[in-house]
Amino acid sequence: MTDPKPARAGADLGRTLADFSVPSEPGNERLAMQTVAATASRLGVDGQDLERLKTAVGETTMNAMEHGNGYGSGVPVEIQVLVSHGDLLVRITDEGSGPPPREDGDEPDLEAKLEGMQKARGWGLFLIKSMVDEIEITGDEGHHTVELLVHLETEGGK
Amino acid sequence: MEVRHLEVEVRTEANIAVLDMKGEINGFAEEAMNAAYAEAEAGDPGTILLNFERVDYINSTGIALIVGLLARARAARRSLLACNLSEHYVEIFNITRLSDFMSVFPDEKTAVGEAMES
Repeated sequence: MTDPKPARAGADLGRTLADFSVPSEPGNERLAMQTVAATASRLGVDGQDLERLKTAVGETTMNAMEHGNGYGSGVPVEIQVLVSHGDLLVRITDEGSGPPPREDGDEPDLEAKLEGMQKARGWGLFLIKSMVDEIEITGDEGHHTVELLVHLETEGGK
Repeated sequence: MEVRHLEVEVRTEANIAVLDMKGEINGFAEEAMNAAYAEAEAGDPGTILLNFERVDYINSTGIALIVGLLARARAARRSLLACNLSEHYVEIFNITRLSDFMSVFPDEKTAVGEAMES
């Protein structure tokens, strides 16, 4: 993991509190979770709100590593933590190409999975959306970015 | 980052097989979980109890593994229960609806008591 860069005043979207990357290797989502959690806790995010944020960051990072970067260890996932207008933003970027995943993807159906009509996996995006206030997914030719938003003024998270 | 691979020990309490899990339930946990579940099934218990007391991380791949165990339990007409989940993972069991299909208990004693009364 690259050392987090010092906070800098952003000209566009508030203040950057952390800016780092993790190699795309299974398990490294834990590094992302720990670093974002440490940053968020300094803003007063704690308890269940912090756990929800950690899960959202972990799942988003896993998706970036697996689906965006193909678990290429030489291909990093870039992560920024920003605060703007009372909101905490976590921006997670991979080097995936093609259309980014849809925010409104099909919800997992547990009964269908238990009956073998859906594969058992596919919980990641559902968990992410359940754990934060807003999510936005964007992409261009060489990158996909997922932005997670937590309202700090309403004590964060859901 | 070093991953804490899952360790699972199986023991029996009455007609209940208890899987004591320790570590992380993620993509690396499949072999350990399936082996432990198979060991538990071999005794043909009416109930299998997943003890999460020493589990400190479950990701979406881990949720999928638990779904797989639940499917196996249902196919064999066995009850699958869970105990000692943290508050956060109780929430995840609720929003994924896992708690609709496998009862979640605060501790092993409550889970075993409930299972023996059933």
